[in-house]
Amino acid sequence: MGKFGAFRILVYRDLQIRYAGTWLGYFWTLLDPLAMSAIYWFVFSYIVGAKSIGEQPYILFLLTGILSWTWFNGAVTDSARSLVIESKMVRSIAIPRYLWVIKSIGAKGIEFVLALPILVVISIIANAEVSAALLFIPLAFVVQFLLLSGIGLILAPLTVLARDTTNILRILLRMMFYLTPIIYGVSDIPERFQTIAYLNPMTGIISMYRAGFWNDPNLVTPIVFSVIISLIIFVTGVIFFKKVERSVLKEV
Amino acid sequence: MSIVIDVKDIGVSFRRNRKRNFSIREMLLQQKNTSPKGEFWALRNINFQVNAGEAVGLMGANGQGKSTLLRIIAGVLLPDEGSVTVNGGVAPLIELTGGLKSDLTARDNIGLVAGLHGVSKSELKKRFDSIVEFAEVGDFLDTPVRHFSSGMKVRLGFSIVTSIDEPIILVDEALAVGDAAFKEKCYIRMKDLLNQGKTLFLVSHKERDLKEFCTRGLYLKDGSLAVNGTLTEALNAYQKDSGGLHD
Repeated sequence: MGKFGAFRILVYRDLQIRYAGTWLGYFWTLLDPLAMSAIYWFVFSYIVGAKSIGEQPYILFLLTGILSWTWFNGAVTDSARSLVIESKMVRSIAIPRYLWVIKSIGAKGIEFVLALPILVVISIIANAEVSAALLFIPLAFVVQFLLLSGIGLILAPLTVLARDTTNILRILLRMMFYLTPIIYGVSDIPERFQTIAYLNPMTGIISMYRAGFWNDPNLVTPIVFSVIISLIIFVTGVIFFKKVERSVLKEV
Repeated sequence: MSIVIDVKDIGVSFRRNRKRNFSIREMLLQQKNTSPKGEFWALRNINFQVNAGEAVGLMGANGQGKSTLLRIIAGVLLPDEGSVTVNGGVAPLIELTGGLKSDLTARDNIGLVAGLHGVSKSELKKRFDSIVEFAEVGDFLDTPVRHFSSGMKVRLGFSIVTSIDEPIILVDEALAVGDAAFKEKCYIRMKDLLNQGKTLFLVSHKERDLKEFCTRGLYLKDGSLAVNGTLTEALNAYQKDSGGLHD
């Protein structure tokens, strides 16, 4: 059996477990980002007021960001704990170890793809204009997958070696949510902070998801930044994982 | 005869004072302590070969590195020194119930565990019924495994792994599981597998199991291989050191 076979089985199993015994099944995938988006839409459209941040229709703007963030958040959390949670299988089944990490990212990635039809529905309801730049979405997907793999390959061994990685991660992820242009756009960031925002690879990735809906004249810089930084994180992850694999196997 | 397991100069070291689940605070603020530091070798300079069709019993007191060695051969632990070459697929009877996911049904779990051990979909189709029949879980195929008793789980795990049909079988103690009647079935199945010419590598304390199945014996003592010979030689050395085997 190829590595891809094992990968497919593990991704499928994760999805099976997620939906086993649930009534709403697939709709849970939609419900979480929809509820989040609805709340932010309400708060920023009616309470904070002013159509000053992001783009219109704001609900669509929010959804593009929140859907990819939901994947990011879920995949980072799950992949970081993957080796700990699957420890018994890691101890008994000899498949390449990185598969345990990557499968969490794949499973959450599939949930993300399955949630994308919401964007179609909302853009039809909101009568949004789209352009050929929608073709950036597959590229964004690939870059985000690479980025998440790198992060997972670093965090999963760390979590085995020090369990409180999970606690720190939870705080960091919540901070990152507000520091990433999700509920606001890159153009809302004051100019002096923009370069720093580009250093966050999710900035460019979300810009790519949004490119087909809103024409962004400054698209190249965030894309270049996100691709380069994601690649660096991926390579770092691969090297780090290889280096600590031996000690991790003794500890799981 | 062809060599299926070739262990060359294996060494594995563990950290002596390593606590499981230690925190980042401990990583950063390394407390001074007086107990001996550094690493110890759980296994060192281990050399042996296993030929195709042999049945090898590995014995030794607790903490002498038996399971560690078995896990290295199974490829789920990497040695710090030396190398292991395993020619052919391995069916590991290690952590039998560890691969089962409690939220999934028995049916799904069979597909999952067999699939991860490399059984193709078409092969699984052929073997599915016999796996179910052997495990005696036919009435609970679509029940989530979390409702299974521990005996049922271990029967299911045993049945799946012994159906993988790989040339090498690795066993960590659990040569036979479940109640007395099921244990007999397990013994018969292991005999069958051996008669098919499969290679068996068995870690055990049980004299009955070792004598019943193994012809060769390895005896681990203080992390090195004290005896590499016939089963009787290894058993004698082990018994001399420990004052009898437990059954």
